[in-house]
Amino acid sequence: MANTLRGRAAYAIDVRGVGVKYDLRLTRKNTLRTSFTRLAHRRRGVDRTFWALRDVSFRLVHGESLGVIGPNGAGKSTLLQVLAGIITPSEGAIDVVGKVSSLLTLGAGFDQDLTGRDNIFLAGAFLGIQGEEMARRSASIVEFADIGQFIDAPIKTYSSGMRARLGFAIATSVDPDILLLDEVLSTGDQVFRAKSKARVLEIAAAAKAVVLVTHDMNWVAEFCNRAILIEQGHVVAEGDPAEVVSIHQERSERSRAEKAAEVARILAGAPA
Amino acid sequence: MTTSEAHASFSSSAARPGPLALLREAFDDIRSRRRLIGYLVRADAKKKGADTLLGNIWWVLDPLLQMLVYVVLVSVILQSSQPDYPLFIFAAILPWKWFMSSVNDAIASITTQDRLIKQLKFPKIVLPTATTVAAILHFVFGLIPLGALLVLLYRDRISGNLVFLPVIAAVQFLFTLALAYVVSCVNVFYRDVENISRHALRMWFYLSPALYGAAALERIASSHPTLIELFKFNPFYVLFTSYRNVIYGSATGAPTGPDWSGLLALSGVSLLFLALATILFKRVEPAFAKVL
Repeated sequence: MANTLRGRAAYAIDVRGVGVKYDLRLTRKNTLRTSFTRLAHRRRGVDRTFWALRDVSFRLVHGESLGVIGPNGAGKSTLLQVLAGIITPSEGAIDVVGKVSSLLTLGAGFDQDLTGRDNIFLAGAFLGIQGEEMARRSASIVEFADIGQFIDAPIKTYSSGMRARLGFAIATSVDPDILLLDEVLSTGDQVFRAKSKARVLEIAAAAKAVVLVTHDMNWVAEFCNRAILIEQGHVVAEGDPAEVVSIHQERSERSRAEKAAEVARILAGAPA
Repeated sequence: MTTSEAHASFSSSAARPGPLALLREAFDDIRSRRRLIGYLVRADAKKKGADTLLGNIWWVLDPLLQMLVYVVLVSVILQSSQPDYPLFIFAAILPWKWFMSSVNDAIASITTQDRLIKQLKFPKIVLPTATTVAAILHFVFGLIPLGALLVLLYRDRISGNLVFLPVIAAVQFLFTLALAYVVSCVNVFYRDVENISRHALRMWFYLSPALYGAAALERIASSHPTLIELFKFNPFYVLFTSYRNVIYGSATGAPTGPDWSGLLALSGVSLLFLALATILFKRVEPAFAKVL
Protein backbone atom coordinates (compact mmCIF):
# COMPACT_ATOMS: atom_id res chain seq x y z
CA MET A 1 0.00 0.00 0.00
CA ALA A 2 2.83 2.34 0.90
CA ASN A 3 4.40 1.96 -2.52
CA THR A 4 1.27 2.79 -4.47
CA LEU A 5 0.69 5.75 -2.20
CA ARG A 6 4.23 6.91 -2.68
CA GLY A 7 3.82 6.68 -6.41
CA ARG A 8 0.78 8.89 -6.28
CA ALA A 9 1.63 11.30 -3.52
CA ALA A 10 4.34 13.83 -4.01
CA TYR A 11 4.69 14.43 -0.31
CA ALA A 12 6.06 12.54 2.67
CA ILE A 13 4.05 14.39 5.28
CA ASP A 14 0.81 16.24 4.78
CA VAL A 15 -0.51 18.14 7.79
CA ARG A 16 -3.92 19.76 7.37
CA GLY A 17 -5.30 22.09 9.99
CA VAL A 18 -4.04 20.03 12.89
CA GLY A 19 -4.89 20.96 16.45
CA VAL A 20 -3.97 19.09 19.62
CA LYS A 21 -6.04 19.68 22.68
CA TYR A 22 -4.99 18.70 26.16
CA ASP A 23 -7.59 18.08 28.81
CA LEU A 24 -6.13 19.57 31.95
CA ARG A 25 -8.39 17.44 34.11
CA LEU A 26 -6.53 14.35 33.00
CA THR A 27 -3.02 14.94 34.10
CA ARG A 28 -0.30 12.75 35.38
CA LYS A 29 -0.91 10.77 38.56
CA ASN A 30 -4.56 11.49 38.90
CA THR A 31 -6.39 9.96 41.81
CA LEU A 32 -10.03 9.44 42.58
CA ARG A 33 -9.77 12.00 45.36
CA THR A 34 -8.78 14.80 42.99
CA SER A 35 -11.63 13.79 40.69
CA PHE A 36 -14.14 14.00 43.51
CA THR A 37 -12.76 17.31 44.69
CA ARG A 38 -13.05 18.71 41.22
CA LEU A 39 -16.55 17.37 40.87
CA ALA A 40 -17.50 19.13 44.08
CA HIS A 41 -15.93 22.40 43.01
CA ARG A 42 -17.12 22.19 39.49
CA ARG A 43 -18.06 25.45 37.94
CA ARG A 44 -19.85 25.60 34.72
CA GLY A 45 -18.37 27.35 31.74
CA VAL A 46 -14.80 27.03 32.92
CA ASP A 47 -12.70 25.79 30.05
CA ARG A 48 -10.23 23.25 31.30
CA THR A 49 -8.66 22.53 27.97
CA PHE A 50 -5.47 23.75 26.44
CA TRP A 51 -4.53 23.78 22.77
CA ALA A 52 -0.89 22.79 22.38
CA LEU A 53 -1.20 23.14 18.62
CA ARG A 54 -3.80 24.88 16.50
CA ASP A 55 -4.36 25.32 12.76
CA VAL A 56 -1.04 23.83 11.78
CA SER A 57 -0.74 22.98 8.10
CA PHE A 58 2.29 22.16 5.99
CA ARG A 59 3.61 19.65 3.51
CA LEU A 60 6.98 18.02 3.31
CA VAL A 61 8.27 16.17 0.27
CA HIS A 62 10.86 13.41 0.25
CA GLY A 63 14.37 14.79 0.34
CA GLU A 64 13.45 17.83 2.37
CA SER A 65 14.71 18.51 5.82
CA LEU A 66 12.53 20.71 7.93
CA GLY A 67 13.75 22.62 10.95
CA VAL A 68 11.17 23.35 13.62
CA ILE A 69 12.11 26.23 15.87
CA GLY A 70 10.36 28.28 18.52
CA PRO A 71 10.52 29.17 22.19
CA ASN A 72 10.17 26.57 24.93
CA GLY A 73 6.64 25.26 25.32
CA ALA A 74 5.58 26.42 21.87
CA GLY A 75 4.39 22.97 20.85
CA LYS A 76 7.41 21.77 18.88
CA SER A 77 7.67 18.42 20.63
CA THR A 78 3.91 17.92 20.43
CA LEU A 79 4.18 18.44 16.67
CA LEU A 80 6.82 15.73 16.45
CA GLN A 81 4.63 13.39 18.50
CA VAL A 82 1.77 13.97 16.08
CA LEU A 83 4.03 13.34 13.09
CA ALA A 84 5.21 10.12 14.71
CA GLY A 85 1.62 8.98 15.20
CA ILE A 86 2.06 8.92 18.97
CA ILE A 87 -0.63 11.53 19.54
CA THR A 88 -3.76 11.64 17.42
CA PRO A 89 -4.83 15.17 16.53
CA SER A 90 -7.97 16.54 18.18
CA GLU A 91 -8.89 18.28 14.93
CA GLY A 92 -7.60 18.19 11.41
CA ALA A 93 -5.75 15.27 9.88
CA ILE A 94 -2.30 14.16 8.85
CA ASP A 95 -1.02 11.70 6.28
CA VAL A 96 2.43 10.24 6.57
CA VAL A 97 3.81 8.28 3.65
CA GLY A 98 6.73 6.04 4.49
CA LYS A 99 8.31 4.56 7.56
CA VAL A 100 8.87 6.92 10.44
CA SER A 101 11.61 6.57 13.00
CA SER A 102 10.79 8.43 16.13
CA LEU A 103 13.04 7.74 19.08
CA LEU A 104 12.37 11.30 20.05
CA THR A 105 14.09 11.65 23.37
CA LEU A 106 16.82 9.26 22.56
CA GLY A 107 17.30 6.28 24.80
CA ALA A 108 14.50 7.16 27.17
CA GLY A 109 12.58 4.01 26.32
CA PHE A 110 15.30 1.60 27.30
CA ASP A 111 14.66 -1.16 29.77
CA GLN A 112 17.11 -0.39 32.56
CA ASP A 113 17.59 -3.99 33.65
CA LEU A 114 18.31 -5.46 30.25
CA THR A 115 21.68 -5.27 28.52
CA GLY A 116 22.36 -2.92 25.66
CA ARG A 117 22.25 -5.82 23.23
CA ASP A 118 18.88 -7.02 24.55
CA ASN A 119 17.60 -3.47 24.27
CA ILE A 120 18.63 -3.30 20.61
CA PHE A 121 16.42 -6.32 19.94
CA LEU A 122 13.62 -5.04 22.13
CA ALA A 123 13.66 -1.71 20.30
CA GLY A 124 13.66 -3.63 17.03
CA ALA A 125 10.61 -5.58 18.14
CA PHE A 126 8.83 -2.37 19.11
CA LEU A 127 9.71 -0.86 15.74
CA GLY A 128 8.38 -3.98 14.07
CA ILE A 129 11.66 -5.22 12.61
CA GLN A 130 12.22 -8.94 12.29
CA GLY A 131 14.79 -10.68 14.47
CA GLU A 132 17.25 -11.75 11.77
CA GLU A 133 17.13 -8.29 10.26
CA MET A 134 17.90 -6.77 13.65
CA ALA A 135 20.71 -9.26 14.24
CA ARG A 136 22.25 -8.16 10.96
CA ARG A 137 22.02 -4.51 11.98
CA SER A 138 23.18 -4.91 15.55
CA ALA A 139 26.86 -5.02 14.60
CA SER A 140 26.70 -1.64 12.89
CA ILE A 141 24.60 -0.24 15.75
CA VAL A 142 27.18 -1.34 18.31
CA GLU A 143 29.96 0.08 16.18
CA PHE A 144 28.24 3.42 15.59
CA ALA A 145 27.26 3.82 19.25
CA ASP A 146 30.87 3.08 20.22
CA ILE A 147 30.18 1.74 23.70
CA GLY A 148 32.57 -1.22 23.64
CA GLN A 149 32.03 -4.00 26.15
CA PHE A 150 29.22 -2.09 27.82
CA ILE A 151 26.93 -3.49 25.16
CA ASP A 152 26.56 -6.62 27.31
CA ALA A 153 26.02 -4.68 30.56
CA PRO A 154 22.61 -3.53 31.82
CA ILE A 155 21.55 -0.08 30.61
CA LYS A 156 21.43 1.20 34.17
CA THR A 157 25.24 1.14 34.24
CA TYR A 158 25.46 3.46 31.21
CA SER A 159 26.32 7.13 31.31
CA SER A 160 23.75 9.48 29.78
CA GLY A 161 26.04 10.04 26.81
CA MET A 162 26.30 6.31 26.14
CA ARG A 163 22.55 5.97 26.40
CA ALA A 164 21.98 8.80 23.92
CA ARG A 165 24.54 7.34 21.52
CA LEU A 166 22.91 3.92 21.57
CA GLY A 167 19.48 5.49 21.13
CA PHE A 168 20.64 7.52 18.16
CA ALA A 169 22.34 4.51 16.61
CA ILE A 170 19.14 2.44 16.89
CA ALA A 171 16.87 5.24 15.67
CA THR A 172 18.93 5.85 12.56
CA SER A 173 19.76 2.20 11.83
CA VAL A 174 16.22 1.32 10.92
CA ASP A 175 16.51 2.97 7.53
CA PRO A 176 13.58 5.32 8.01
CA ASP A 177 11.88 7.14 5.18
CA ILE A 178 11.15 9.92 7.61
CA LEU A 179 13.40 10.71 10.54
CA LEU A 180 12.11 12.75 13.47
CA LEU A 181 14.75 14.20 15.76
CA ASP A 182 14.24 16.18 18.94
CA GLU A 183 17.27 18.05 20.27
CA VAL A 184 19.59 15.11 19.74
CA LEU A 185 22.44 17.03 18.34
CA SER A 186 23.23 18.65 21.63
CA THR A 187 23.93 15.35 23.38
CA GLY A 188 27.16 13.47 23.50
CA ASP A 189 30.71 14.62 22.96
CA GLN A 190 32.18 16.57 20.06
CA VAL A 191 33.15 13.50 18.07
CA PHE A 192 29.74 11.90 18.37
CA ARG A 193 28.02 15.16 17.54
CA ALA A 194 29.98 15.36 14.32
CA LYS A 195 29.24 11.72 13.57
CA SER A 196 25.52 12.14 14.14
CA LYS A 197 25.37 15.26 11.97
CA ALA A 198 27.02 13.28 9.20
CA ARG A 199 24.50 10.45 9.66
CA VAL A 200 21.51 12.81 9.53
CA LEU A 201 22.88 14.36 6.35
CA GLU A 202 23.34 10.90 4.88
CA ILE A 203 19.71 9.99 5.56
CA ALA A 204 18.44 13.30 4.24
CA ALA A 205 20.54 12.86 1.12
CA ALA A 206 19.05 9.42 0.47
CA ALA A 207 15.82 11.17 -0.57
CA LYS A 208 14.37 10.84 2.92
CA ALA A 209 12.61 13.47 4.90
CA VAL A 210 13.94 14.78 8.17
CA VAL A 211 12.08 16.84 10.73
CA LEU A 212 14.37 18.35 13.30
CA VAL A 213 13.44 20.20 16.46
CA THR A 214 16.37 22.16 17.80
CA HIS A 215 17.61 25.28 19.46
CA ASP A 216 20.78 25.17 17.40
CA MET A 217 20.11 27.96 14.88
CA ASN A 218 23.34 27.37 13.00
CA TRP A 219 22.30 23.81 12.28
CA VAL A 220 18.91 24.95 11.01
CA ALA A 221 20.33 27.68 8.78
CA GLU A 222 23.08 25.45 7.49
CA PHE A 223 21.46 22.09 6.88
CA CYS A 224 17.69 22.44 6.70
CA ASN A 225 16.19 23.52 3.41
CA ARG A 226 13.03 24.76 5.07
CA ALA A 227 12.02 25.89 8.52
CA ILE A 228 8.89 26.72 10.44
CA LEU A 229 8.61 28.88 13.51
CA ILE A 230 6.02 27.87 16.08
CA GLU A 231 4.83 30.14 18.86
CA GLN A 232 2.07 29.19 21.29
CA GLY A 233 0.89 26.37 19.08
CA HIS A 234 0.63 28.41 15.88
CA VAL A 235 2.89 28.53 12.89
CA VAL A 236 4.01 32.15 12.69
CA ALA A 237 6.61 31.87 9.95
CA GLU A 238 7.51 29.37 7.29
CA GLY A 239 10.04 29.27 4.50
CA ASP A 240 13.72 29.76 3.94
CA PRO A 241 15.65 28.69 7.07
CA ALA A 242 17.84 31.78 7.22
CA GLU A 243 14.79 34.05 7.05
CA VAL A 244 12.80 32.09 9.60
CA VAL A 245 15.76 32.01 11.95
CA SER A 246 16.20 35.76 11.68
CA ILE A 247 12.46 36.29 12.31
CA HIS A 248 12.73 34.04 15.34
CA GLN A 249 15.77 35.89 16.65
CA GLU A 250 14.10 39.23 16.10
CA ARG A 251 10.92 38.14 17.89
CA SER A 252 12.71 36.52 20.78
CA GLU A 253 14.90 39.60 21.07
CA ARG A 254 11.76 41.73 21.29
CA SER A 255 10.11 39.46 23.86
CA ARG A 256 13.33 39.44 25.86
CA ALA A 257 13.33 43.23 25.81
CA GLU A 258 9.69 43.25 26.93
CA LYS A 259 10.50 40.87 29.75
CA ALA A 260 13.46 42.96 30.79
CA ALA A 261 11.23 46.03 30.85
CA GLU A 262 8.70 44.17 32.96
CA VAL A 263 11.37 43.02 35.38
CA ALA A 264 12.56 46.59 35.65
CA ARG A 265 9.00 47.74 36.37
CA ILE A 266 8.54 45.10 39.06
CA LEU A 267 11.88 45.92 40.63
CA ALA A 268 10.97 49.61 40.61
CA GLY A 269 7.83 48.72 42.57
CA ALA A 270 5.46 50.27 40.07
CA PRO A 271 2.16 48.53 39.33
CA ALA A 272 2.27 46.66 36.06
CA MET B 1 10.80 -7.53 0.67
CA THR B 2 9.46 -5.61 3.60
CA THR B 3 11.12 -6.29 6.93
CA SER B 4 8.59 -4.46 8.99
CA GLU B 5 5.62 -5.89 10.85
CA ALA B 6 4.32 -2.45 11.67
CA HIS B 7 2.30 -0.37 9.29
CA ALA B 8 4.63 2.18 7.84
CA SER B 9 2.44 4.82 6.29
CA PHE B 10 -0.46 6.06 8.34
CA SER B 11 -3.14 8.68 8.56
CA SER B 12 -4.47 10.02 11.78
CA SER B 13 -7.30 12.33 12.56
CA ALA B 14 -9.77 13.05 15.32
CA ALA B 15 -12.31 10.56 13.92
CA ARG B 16 -12.64 7.45 16.09
CA PRO B 17 -13.82 4.09 14.72
CA GLY B 18 -16.86 2.28 16.11
CA PRO B 19 -16.77 -0.60 18.64
CA LEU B 20 -16.58 -3.39 16.07
CA ALA B 21 -13.81 -1.67 14.15
CA LEU B 22 -11.94 -1.20 17.42
CA LEU B 23 -12.24 -4.92 18.17
CA ARG B 24 -10.91 -5.82 14.75
CA GLU B 25 -8.09 -3.31 15.17
CA ALA B 26 -7.11 -4.85 18.51
CA PHE B 27 -7.15 -8.31 16.98
CA ASP B 28 -4.89 -7.14 14.14
CA ASP B 29 -2.59 -5.38 16.64
CA ILE B 30 -2.04 -8.58 18.57
CA ARG B 31 -1.74 -10.80 15.53
CA SER B 32 0.75 -8.60 13.70
CA ARG B 33 2.77 -7.91 16.84
CA ARG B 34 2.93 -11.43 18.26
CA ARG B 35 6.70 -11.38 17.88
CA LEU B 36 6.92 -8.26 20.03
CA ILE B 37 4.69 -9.92 22.62
CA GLY B 38 6.95 -12.97 22.56
CA TYR B 39 9.97 -10.77 23.01
CA LEU B 40 8.41 -8.88 25.93
CA VAL B 41 7.46 -12.18 27.56
CA ARG B 42 11.01 -13.49 27.27
CA ALA B 43 12.50 -10.21 28.54
CA ASP B 44 10.11 -10.33 31.51
CA ALA B 45 11.07 -13.89 32.40
CA LYS B 46 14.74 -13.11 31.98
CA LYS B 47 14.53 -10.11 34.30
CA LYS B 48 12.49 -11.82 36.98
CA GLY B 49 14.77 -14.82 37.02
CA ALA B 50 17.94 -12.78 37.06
CA ASP B 51 17.51 -10.28 39.85
CA THR B 52 17.09 -12.63 42.79
CA LEU B 53 19.54 -15.08 44.29
CA LEU B 54 17.38 -18.14 43.76
CA GLY B 55 15.88 -16.88 40.50
CA ASN B 56 12.96 -18.87 39.24
CA ILE B 57 13.16 -21.26 42.18
CA TRP B 58 11.10 -18.68 44.04
CA TRP B 59 8.21 -19.44 41.73
CA VAL B 60 8.31 -23.01 43.01
CA LEU B 61 8.93 -22.12 46.65
CA ASP B 62 6.37 -19.33 46.86
CA PRO B 63 3.17 -21.41 46.65
CA LEU B 64 4.71 -24.10 48.86
CA LEU B 65 5.54 -21.61 51.60
CA GLN B 66 2.08 -20.09 51.41
CA MET B 67 0.62 -23.58 51.63
CA LEU B 68 2.61 -24.17 54.80
CA VAL B 69 1.21 -21.00 56.38
CA TYR B 70 -2.38 -22.08 55.72
CA VAL B 71 -1.73 -25.66 56.80
CA VAL B 72 -0.41 -24.43 60.15
CA LEU B 73 -3.26 -21.93 60.50
CA VAL B 74 -6.17 -24.15 59.47
CA SER B 75 -5.11 -27.73 60.26
CA VAL B 76 -3.05 -27.15 63.38
CA ILE B 77 -4.47 -24.04 65.04
CA LEU B 78 -8.11 -24.13 63.89
CA GLN B 79 -8.07 -27.95 63.90
CA SER B 80 -10.05 -28.38 60.72
CA SER B 81 -10.97 -31.96 59.98
CA GLN B 82 -10.45 -31.70 56.21
CA PRO B 83 -8.33 -34.72 55.21
CA ASP B 84 -5.17 -34.12 53.16
CA TYR B 85 -5.48 -30.38 53.77
CA PRO B 86 -2.09 -29.48 52.17
CA LEU B 87 -3.29 -30.78 48.78
CA PHE B 88 -6.76 -29.29 49.35
CA ILE B 89 -5.35 -25.79 49.86
CA PHE B 90 -2.63 -26.12 47.22
CA ALA B 91 -5.28 -26.71 44.55
CA ALA B 92 -6.51 -23.15 45.28
CA ILE B 93 -3.17 -21.44 45.95
CA LEU B 94 -1.77 -22.51 42.59
CA PRO B 95 -4.38 -20.73 40.41
CA TRP B 96 -4.69 -17.81 42.82
CA LYS B 97 -0.96 -17.00 42.82
CA TRP B 98 -1.10 -16.98 39.06
CA PHE B 99 -4.17 -14.74 38.99
CA MET B 100 -2.72 -12.30 41.52
CA SER B 101 0.59 -11.86 39.73
CA SER B 102 -1.25 -11.48 36.42
CA VAL B 103 -3.41 -8.66 37.77
CA ASN B 104 -0.55 -6.91 39.56
CA ASP B 105 1.72 -7.02 36.53
CA ALA B 106 -1.09 -5.83 34.26
CA ILE B 107 -1.84 -2.81 36.46
CA ALA B 108 1.69 -1.51 36.03
CA SER B 109 2.11 -2.65 32.42
CA ILE B 110 1.19 0.67 30.78
CA THR B 111 2.30 3.17 33.39
CA THR B 112 5.83 1.76 33.66
CA GLN B 113 6.30 2.15 29.90
CA ASP B 114 5.35 5.84 29.91
CA ARG B 115 8.61 6.99 28.34
CA LEU B 116 8.36 4.53 25.51
CA ILE B 117 4.70 5.37 24.87
CA LYS B 118 5.60 9.03 24.51
CA GLN B 119 8.25 8.43 21.89
CA LEU B 120 7.10 5.50 19.81
CA LYS B 121 3.94 4.58 17.96
CA PHE B 122 2.95 1.02 18.72
CA PRO B 123 -0.25 -0.76 19.75
CA LYS B 124 -0.35 -0.38 23.52
CA ILE B 125 -2.53 -3.45 23.91
CA VAL B 126 0.56 -5.62 23.50
CA LEU B 127 1.77 -4.49 26.94
CA PRO B 128 -0.96 -5.99 29.19
CA THR B 129 -1.19 -8.93 26.79
CA ALA B 130 2.51 -9.62 27.26
CA THR B 131 2.48 -9.38 31.06
CA THR B 132 -0.57 -11.64 31.25
CA VAL B 133 1.02 -14.22 28.98
CA ALA B 134 4.29 -13.99 30.91
CA ALA B 135 2.44 -14.64 34.17
CA ILE B 136 1.41 -18.07 32.87
CA LEU B 137 4.92 -19.09 33.93
CA HIS B 138 3.76 -18.75 37.54
CA PHE B 139 1.21 -21.44 36.89
CA VAL B 140 3.64 -23.65 34.98
CA PHE B 141 6.26 -23.42 37.72
CA GLY B 142 3.55 -24.07 40.29
CA LEU B 143 2.82 -27.40 38.62
CA ILE B 144 6.23 -28.63 39.79
CA PRO B 145 5.44 -28.57 43.53
CA LEU B 146 1.94 -29.86 42.72
CA GLY B 147 3.43 -32.87 40.95
CA ALA B 148 5.84 -33.41 43.82
CA LEU B 149 3.02 -33.28 46.39
CA LEU B 150 0.93 -35.77 44.43
CA VAL B 151 3.74 -38.21 43.78
CA LEU B 152 5.38 -38.05 47.19
CA LEU B 153 2.44 -37.74 49.56
CA TYR B 154 -0.93 -38.27 47.89
CA ARG B 155 -0.37 -40.94 45.30
CA ASP B 156 -3.88 -42.34 45.78
CA ARG B 157 -5.37 -38.99 44.63
CA ILE B 158 -3.68 -39.05 41.23
CA SER B 159 -6.23 -39.60 38.49
CA GLY B 160 -6.78 -39.16 34.79
CA ASN B 161 -8.84 -36.08 35.53
CA LEU B 162 -5.58 -34.12 35.82
CA VAL B 163 -5.60 -33.83 32.02
CA PHE B 164 -8.43 -31.29 32.39
CA LEU B 165 -6.09 -28.84 34.18
CA PRO B 166 -5.15 -27.00 30.95
CA VAL B 167 -8.85 -26.58 30.09
CA ILE B 168 -9.59 -24.95 33.44
CA ALA B 169 -6.45 -22.84 33.11
CA ALA B 170 -7.55 -21.69 29.64
CA VAL B 171 -10.86 -20.41 31.01
CA GLN B 172 -9.03 -18.66 33.84
CA PHE B 173 -6.68 -17.07 31.29
CA LEU B 174 -9.59 -15.66 29.28
CA PHE B 175 -11.12 -14.07 32.35
CA THR B 176 -7.76 -12.77 33.57
CA LEU B 177 -6.87 -11.22 30.21
CA ALA B 178 -10.14 -9.26 30.15
CA LEU B 179 -9.51 -7.98 33.67
CA ALA B 180 -5.90 -7.16 32.74
CA TYR B 181 -7.05 -4.87 29.90
CA VAL B 182 -9.42 -3.03 32.22
CA VAL B 183 -7.03 -2.47 35.13
CA SER B 184 -4.07 -1.56 32.93
CA CYS B 185 -5.88 1.27 31.13
CA VAL B 186 -7.85 2.57 34.11
CA ASN B 187 -4.60 2.83 36.09
CA VAL B 188 -3.30 5.34 33.53
CA PHE B 189 -6.04 7.77 34.56
CA TYR B 190 -6.48 6.78 38.19
CA ARG B 191 -3.44 5.61 40.05
CA ASP B 192 -5.66 4.38 42.90
CA VAL B 193 -6.14 1.10 41.06
CA GLU B 194 -2.97 -0.23 42.62
CA ASN B 195 -4.14 0.49 46.16
CA ILE B 196 -7.68 -0.67 45.57
CA SER B 197 -6.57 -3.90 43.96
CA ARG B 198 -4.45 -4.89 46.94
CA HIS B 199 -7.51 -4.93 49.18
CA ALA B 200 -9.96 -6.12 46.56
CA LEU B 201 -7.80 -9.14 45.75
CA ARG B 202 -7.44 -10.08 49.41
CA MET B 203 -11.19 -9.85 49.95
CA TRP B 204 -11.84 -11.75 46.75
CA PHE B 205 -9.61 -14.60 47.96
CA TYR B 206 -11.34 -14.92 51.32
CA LEU B 207 -14.81 -14.74 49.76
CA SER B 208 -13.93 -17.51 47.31
CA PRO B 209 -13.96 -21.14 48.38
CA ALA B 210 -10.19 -21.35 48.73
CA LEU B 211 -9.41 -21.92 52.40
CA TYR B 212 -12.72 -23.67 52.76
CA GLY B 213 -14.40 -25.78 50.11
CA ALA B 214 -17.63 -25.33 48.21
CA ALA B 215 -19.00 -28.03 50.53
CA ALA B 216 -18.57 -25.68 53.49
CA LEU B 217 -20.72 -23.13 51.68
CA GLU B 218 -23.40 -25.75 51.03
CA ARG B 219 -23.60 -26.39 54.77
CA ILE B 220 -24.63 -22.82 55.49
CA ALA B 221 -26.85 -22.63 52.40
CA SER B 222 -30.00 -23.33 54.43
CA SER B 223 -29.49 -20.36 56.74
CA HIS B 224 -28.26 -17.88 54.08
CA PRO B 225 -29.74 -19.10 50.78
CA THR B 226 -29.49 -15.84 48.78
CA LEU B 227 -25.96 -15.15 49.98
CA ILE B 228 -24.78 -18.53 48.75
CA GLU B 229 -26.44 -17.98 45.37
CA LEU B 230 -24.51 -14.72 45.10
CA PHE B 231 -21.28 -16.52 45.93
CA LYS B 232 -21.79 -18.74 42.92
CA PHE B 233 -21.55 -15.75 40.56
CA ASN B 234 -17.92 -15.44 41.58
CA PRO B 235 -15.73 -16.72 38.72
CA PHE B 236 -13.39 -18.20 41.29
CA TYR B 237 -16.22 -20.25 42.76
CA VAL B 238 -16.30 -22.15 39.46
CA LEU B 239 -12.53 -22.13 39.01
CA PHE B 240 -11.55 -23.24 42.52
CA THR B 241 -14.24 -25.93 42.52
CA SER B 242 -13.01 -27.22 39.16
CA TYR B 243 -9.34 -27.22 40.11
CA ARG B 244 -10.16 -28.97 43.36
CA ASN B 245 -12.37 -31.53 41.65
CA VAL B 246 -9.59 -32.70 39.37
CA ILE B 247 -6.65 -32.37 41.78
CA TYR B 248 -8.14 -33.29 45.13
CA GLY B 249 -11.64 -34.68 44.73
CA SER B 250 -13.67 -34.42 47.92
CA ALA B 251 -13.13 -35.22 51.58
CA THR B 252 -14.24 -38.80 51.05
CA GLY B 253 -14.19 -39.31 47.31
CA ALA B 254 -11.61 -39.57 44.55
CA PRO B 255 -11.04 -36.74 42.02
CA THR B 256 -13.78 -36.12 39.45
CA GLY B 257 -14.17 -34.02 36.34
CA PRO B 258 -14.35 -30.21 36.55
CA ASP B 259 -17.58 -28.24 36.93
CA TRP B 260 -18.30 -28.37 33.18
CA SER B 261 -21.49 -26.32 33.10
CA GLY B 262 -19.88 -23.69 35.32
CA LEU B 263 -16.79 -23.56 33.11
CA LEU B 264 -18.89 -23.26 29.96
CA ALA B 265 -20.90 -20.38 31.43
CA LEU B 266 -17.74 -18.70 32.69
CA SER B 267 -15.99 -18.93 29.34
CA GLY B 268 -19.04 -17.36 27.67
CA VAL B 269 -19.11 -14.52 30.20
CA SER B 270 -15.34 -14.10 29.95
CA LEU B 271 -15.45 -13.78 26.16
CA LEU B 272 -18.09 -11.09 26.41
CA PHE B 273 -16.09 -9.37 29.16
CA LEU B 274 -12.96 -9.62 27.00
CA ALA B 275 -14.71 -7.98 24.05
CA LEU B 276 -15.98 -5.11 26.22
CA ALA B 277 -12.60 -4.71 27.92
CA THR B 278 -10.85 -4.59 24.55
CA ILE B 279 -13.23 -1.91 23.27
CA LEU B 280 -12.69 0.13 26.43
CA PHE B 281 -8.93 -0.21 26.06
CA LYS B 282 -8.93 0.83 22.40
CA ARG B 283 -11.22 3.76 23.16
CA VAL B 284 -8.93 5.30 25.75
CA GLU B 285 -5.63 4.25 24.13
CA PRO B 286 -5.13 7.49 22.13
CA ALA B 287 -5.11 9.48 25.37
CA PHE B 288 -2.24 7.52 26.95
CA ALA B 289 0.56 9.57 25.41
CA LYS B 290 -1.08 12.80 26.59
CA VAL B 291 -1.88 11.71 30.13
CA LEU B 292 1.26 9.79 31.03
